[in-house]
Amino acid sequence: MSADLLQVLASAGKGKGTRSLLRVIILALIAGAAVSSRLFSVIRFESIIHEFDPWFNFRATKYLVANGFYKFWDWFDDRTWHPLGRVTGGTLYPGLMVTSGVIYHALRALTIPVDIRNICVLLAPGFSGLTAIAAYLLTNEMTPSSSAGLLAALFVGIAPGYISRSVAGSYDNEAIAIFLLVFTFYLWIKALKQGSMLWGALCALFYGYMVASWGGYAFITCLLPLHAFVLICMGRYSTRLYVAYTTWYALGTLASMQIPFVGFLPVKTSEHMPALGIFGFLQLLAFLDYVRSAIPSRQFQTFLWLFAGATFGLGLLGLVIATSAGFIAPWSGRFYSLWDTGYAKIHIPIIASVSEHQPTAWPAFFFDLNMLIWLFPVGVYLCFQELADEHVFIVVYALFGSYFAGVMVRLMLTLTPVVCVAAAIAVSTLLDAYLNAKSPNPEEVQALESSEGKRAVKSGLRSTSKPVVGVYGLWGKGMVVGAMVVYLLVFVLHCTWVTSNAYSSPSVVLASRLPDGSQHIIDDYREAYQWLRQNTREDAKIMSWWDYGYQIGGMADRPTLVDNNTWNNTHIATVGKAMSSREEVSYPIMRQHEVDYVLVVFGGLLGYSGDDINKFLWMVRIAEGIWPDEVSERAFFTPRGEYRVDAEATETMKNSLMYKMSYYNYNNLFPPGQAVDRMRGARLPEVGPTLNTLEEAFTSENWIIRIYKVKDLDNLGRDHASAAAFDRGHKKKKATKKRGPRLLRVE
Amino acid sequence: MKTTAVFSAFVSLLSFASAAGASSKKSSASSDSSSTSTTLPATFKPPQVFKNANLVHVISLEKNYVKENINVLVENIDKAPQDEYFVPFTADQMSRLGGVEVKDRKDASAGPFVAEPVEFDQESDIQYLRIRLPKPLAPGAQQTLGISYYLLKAYKPLPASIKQEEQQYLTFSFSAYCSSAYTTTKQKTEVKFPSGNIPDYTKLPGSGDVSEFPQKQGSKLIYGPFDEKPAGAAQPVSVRFEFTKPVTHVSRLERDIEVSHWGGNVAFEERYTLYHRGANLSSLFNRVKWQQAQYYHPTTFALKELKFPLRVGSVDAYYTDVIGNVSTSHFRTNKREALLEIKPRYPVFGGWKFPFTIGWNSDAKNFLRKTATGGFVLNVPFLEGPRQPEGVEYEQVQLRVILPEGAENVRYHTSIPPSSITEAGIEIHKTFLDTLGRTALVIRARNLVDDFRDRDLVVAYDYPLLASLRKPLVVFASAVAVFVVAWIVGNVELKFDSPKK
Amino acid sequence: MRLLATVLSLVALLGAGPGGALAASAAAAGTKKSAEERFQLYHGKALSSAPIKLGDATYRELTAVPRDYAVAVLLTAMDSRYGCQLCREFQPEWGLLARSWTHGDKKGESRIVYATLDFTDGRDIFMSLGLQTAPVLYFFPPTVGPHAPASPEPIRYDFTGGAQAAEQVHSWIARHLPDRPHPPIRRPINWMRWIVTFVALSGGLTVSYVAWPYVLPVIQNRTVWAAVTLISILLFTSGHMFNHIRNVPYVAPDGRGGISYFAGGFQNQYGLETQIVAAMYGILALAGITLAIKVPRISDPKTQAVALFAWASVLFIVYSFLLSVFRRKNGGYPFSLPPFM
Repeated sequence: MSADLLQVLASAGKGKGTRSLLRVIILALIAGAAVSSRLFSVIRFESIIHEFDPWFNFRATKYLVANGFYKFWDWFDDRTWHPLGRVTGGTLYPGLMVTSGVIYHALRALTIPVDIRNICVLLAPGFSGLTAIAAYLLTNEMTPSSSAGLLAALFVGIAPGYISRSVAGSYDNEAIAIFLLVFTFYLWIKALKQGSMLWGALCALFYGYMVASWGGYAFITCLLPLHAFVLICMGRYSTRLYVAYTTWYALGTLASMQIPFVGFLPVKTSEHMPALGIFGFLQLLAFLDYVRSAIPSRQFQTFLWLFAGATFGLGLLGLVIATSAGFIAPWSGRFYSLWDTGYAKIHIPIIASVSEHQPTAWPAFFFDLNMLIWLFPVGVYLCFQELADEHVFIVVYALFGSYFAGVMVRLMLTLTPVVCVAAAIAVSTLLDAYLNAKSPNPEEVQALESSEGKRAVKSGLRSTSKPVVGVYGLWGKGMVVGAMVVYLLVFVLHCTWVTSNAYSSPSVVLASRLPDGSQHIIDDYREAYQWLRQNTREDAKIMSWWDYGYQIGGMADRPTLVDNNTWNNTHIATVGKAMSSREEVSYPIMRQHEVDYVLVVFGGLLGYSGDDINKFLWMVRIAEGIWPDEVSERAFFTPRGEYRVDAEATETMKNSLMYKMSYYNYNNLFPPGQAVDRMRGARLPEVGPTLNTLEEAFTSENWIIRIYKVKDLDNLGRDHASAAAFDRGHKKKKATKKRGPRLLRVE
Repeated sequence: MKTTAVFSAFVSLLSFASAAGASSKKSSASSDSSSTSTTLPATFKPPQVFKNANLVHVISLEKNYVKENINVLVENIDKAPQDEYFVPFTADQMSRLGGVEVKDRKDASAGPFVAEPVEFDQESDIQYLRIRLPKPLAPGAQQTLGISYYLLKAYKPLPASIKQEEQQYLTFSFSAYCSSAYTTTKQKTEVKFPSGNIPDYTKLPGSGDVSEFPQKQGSKLIYGPFDEKPAGAAQPVSVRFEFTKPVTHVSRLERDIEVSHWGGNVAFEERYTLYHRGANLSSLFNRVKWQQAQYYHPTTFALKELKFPLRVGSVDAYYTDVIGNVSTSHFRTNKREALLEIKPRYPVFGGWKFPFTIGWNSDAKNFLRKTATGGFVLNVPFLEGPRQPEGVEYEQVQLRVILPEGAENVRYHTSIPPSSITEAGIEIHKTFLDTLGRTALVIRARNLVDDFRDRDLVVAYDYPLLASLRKPLVVFASAVAVFVVAWIVGNVELKFDSPKK
Repeated sequence: MRLLATVLSLVALLGAGPGGALAASAAAAGTKKSAEERFQLYHGKALSSAPIKLGDATYRELTAVPRDYAVAVLLTAMDSRYGCQLCREFQPEWGLLARSWTHGDKKGESRIVYATLDFTDGRDIFMSLGLQTAPVLYFFPPTVGPHAPASPEPIRYDFTGGAQAAEQVHSWIARHLPDRPHPPIRRPINWMRWIVTFVALSGGLTVSYVAWPYVLPVIQNRTVWAAVTLISILLFTSGHMFNHIRNVPYVAPDGRGGISYFAGGFQNQYGLETQIVAAMYGILALAGITLAIKVPRISDPKTQAVALFAWASVLFIVYSFLLSVFRRKNGGYPFSLPPFM
């Protein structure tokens, strides 16, 4: 059965048409696999938007669909950053929303009643299918063997490093950006190889799309000039390079400047300067090239080259001066923190506080790339064999990609494509070497040897100086191929396992296992958000830590003070101060910002780690950055330098609004003195904190979300403390009345 | 466009052809109103041609809506035979009045009489309900009418805001004398309560052997019997009683029923806008108290759960709200029952709101029949709300029966009181690659209660074979077109490629 | 902050905190000179050598109340016995700050005295203040005079986040000395460094010019570049940047006297660990390269067979070891290959 199947395949393999047909079918299957491997969360939970940022993108998309493009373009959102508001239309990358908006309207035109939410949820998997195809194209530019392309497509399709940001429901810019990244690179290589303006223009087009979609476009903006520069240094300057680069730069920059959020950055900030510099340098080279072709004279050429070098140096110097003089903005925080790795921790705590801006430990690499991580160098090495322009690109990309990925976890994303391409090249080379059935016979080899011996193979790697003779003996081939198959199987298993266990939970809905093994859904977030949405005033201002701003905006549809678009450090610090100060300090702040409700996340009852007490220190730090005299991180640590919430906690900690709101009323849930914080494993003090200026408004089923209402001014004109004390006073008397019988003490 | 009175037993509504052109609800609505309530001069007073020989007025407050039942023995005191009996209501009552049904107590065969609001002066506080007796009542003859109707939004909580563990009390005010347009010789009013806990109620001086009204019998109060009262006599009375149950009020229910012949499937979807009209919380929600209350005294006036007994054979039910699926639901289905139990995300207290959506599928052959003449008859329940011990009231109901594309000659009949139906018409609904759009029968009703669940709605329509074949053909054709275009573009692209490089 | 073992042993009785110290010193200062004299005296000293090195007595005298000047005292432990890393790191910065400030206003308009008290000179003060850690920087605001704040309590500067640059401390002190001159910090120009760099640069240039013909082939050698690229890639992908940023320990002792090569947990690692991992990646990559390129080029069947077998098995074994290591890092990771199951 399998035999004749092989027969069929073999015969099919002959014809060119059938080959391409097979290729198309395989690609389609790979794309299918890529999409379906990202649907775990939809199957397990539901079609829901994940995490935090996607909720904003989703909200923006709904706005776009509802109000049309032009309204979206100049959308001033007064329901975030109260009372400042946010010029949303001008401060976001519209590519994602526009994409799904277009898809939505297209389907509507076909009268297919699809919910915009489902489009947003399934956008990322859909584009990952395209990414696989783009990777196929890119790899085919690198190596003649077409199996490499298919392998690359497969790797990109299921590599966890990419899946982590593109599972169904993670509706974030990366969802489409990675496809654009790979495809832009493909077009760049194409343009470079053919020196064609058409491809260059296409490259610029997709570059523009990329700029409209993701802040990571700067990666392209820096990588292409770098590639060009390396080529020049290798003496590989050619008209092809000139045409491709200039076309891309001119059109691409114009395209990118159309995005309001980018505007004039491409000519102002340093991260765009390399591109500009190389552009000018290329003009110069072109000129010199022309002159040289006109005047054939050895010394003159050397002089010219020196001249070129000097101009380049001067240009660089001028750039440095301009920067220091302030004509050009220096590296902006996020980028700068990539180079000076200590920078963010000191100067921009907000950036440092984000978990995905942490450096990457090696397990993360292996977790996200499994065996690709060691196939990667092999592929890069193979690129050195015949080092054509496109291979140089791979090498440069590999170097910088791996550096950035090492510095920031989230940049693993930009590394993954090149890893897949390189690994695919490696694997396909291996398989090609060991999968052809015919063994060489020694005589011919000898003949070949002798013939080869004559002409010395110069240039290239030493290891490839000898001719290829092929592999003798079937068992050797069998062994290597078998091993490769095993590795590939392990890889597939690994990817599936990682995807289903690590990357498929929509942090909005938590899943826990009941004793009987059945899944139990913990839905506190949506419970509380729905309560806010239905039972509070339409314009009730919600104060919470910025992590939850987007979710509140998206699910509860209420104005927030701060959200995940952390554009205003001071405002965030204000919230941090309110959270970390005493009630007497916080209350005026909240009144001034017209806060109606305060929302905190508390994991103590459930042992949920991502709660506000664990994030509290960042709030303190950020607040301290602005008010060093009023908030001091030191004061939240015990003298022995511990961060505690139990009886030993410092007074500042116990009096901070966050602490009070988290543990208010909590100890009534337990028998006296038994209150335990399951998250931090701490026995809480006998008497819980008292709140004077706030009152508990809602607490979700598992206490994960706690919402407090900010009291209005006391209508007897007392301050809240005394008013509350007055009320409590009455209660106390009652309490003292019903105390248990006193024990008879015997002396 | 021909539209006969919607209330006749079998209405052939709009034929499909005309519906496409003029399927505006507007026109049909106007025709409805013109047919239902005949406008009278503002100075209208019902002629004193009847007299209520004996009248028993039963007001039941057991549910969170009021069900009133007037059994009256009417006598024609006029020379000529009469066939119009008027019942007066205040304008406010009229707006909250629903489910009016009138029948002859003596012979049920006489069937429901036509009862319709009389429309005259909008400003006037008194509005009339006209009851047409099927055959005129001869002079001096008597007839026993059983008039039953429902009043929505009838209660006020007192105190208006309470603690979450306290008991809820509601007040209801009415007239001890049944309001009538005619002289009433003898009448009594009896009020039924959910429990015997009735802290206060208006006391009236007694008459005859009774010292004072009302007499209290268990969970019942009885005012009367009273002696002769003139037309329009009123004696305002109010009662306050315990009702520690949710006062569930659905301000709007949208119910879609989508019939698919290809799929052999009938899909139901219901969108509720649910309020709790009971007492508000005096101090905001306290989770600790709530969790403790779950163990110690679980009776609360908060809405914790809704039970939907669906038709047997209903499958894959879902329960969502505006931010996605709600995981707290049970759907147990077997041979005998298909019960959907849903919990709101949070306990719904007085003044709170919880809109949600449920839906389910069912095999078409449970509802759809093919008639001998080649037409189809769809028989579905008009209303399938939750079944709660405390009852549910619906202010606005919109029912949409989406028939397959190309269905024509749609006729329907329903057994809910005609006076509750405000309008009905044909609309066009476009989904799933429709070219013409599907025929959708839209019925709007008001002031219904859960007593009317499982009342039938019968829809008859024709569905020619060609219509059923339209979509496959269209899809096939367009797919072919796409391929052709793609092929052409492919070729063009090659030509476009070759000259350069 | 490092804990001072000796101090721990010494400070059995906890001092009553700075307040108590003040009370004590007030008594001592009763007989002594007036505030003005003291300031002039110490400011004079400071001008000659800032910051002033204090002993027990001088400390008490300087910080005695009433005083119409501010005092910034660094209580440190420079002696190598206490192994106070932070002290040594901060000392030069502190000296720089004190010098540039004091010389910044010679007339003492800002009325602040910079002083240092080493543990060896002022055990009693440390004990009376109940200090168990060093360095500690106290700022004593003036108790009398126009600039006296509400509370005379000394303010403590916390060194969380490691040794601070002089600028940060400068701004901190400046915050506590409102409406008084704040002389800026003047870092001396490091001539030595400039000279060295210049010489090195010129030397490098000349060398490169001379050696150019010999260097050129190396630069143009593809294998060299390949090696460099691969090594750096291996470094980055084995989490070297993480070590660099978080400066993690090279190895850590496990509980039982030995050393543990692999940090527990998914999110942290040791220096040695990353090197081991890099080595494994390297071996795997090498095996892969050899199998892909070298082996098919071996003309002699025997040698080829041996090489093939050797490299293939190396690949297999190392990979299985890598998996087992990863399983140790990430509990519950289900996959493994023989022999390291």
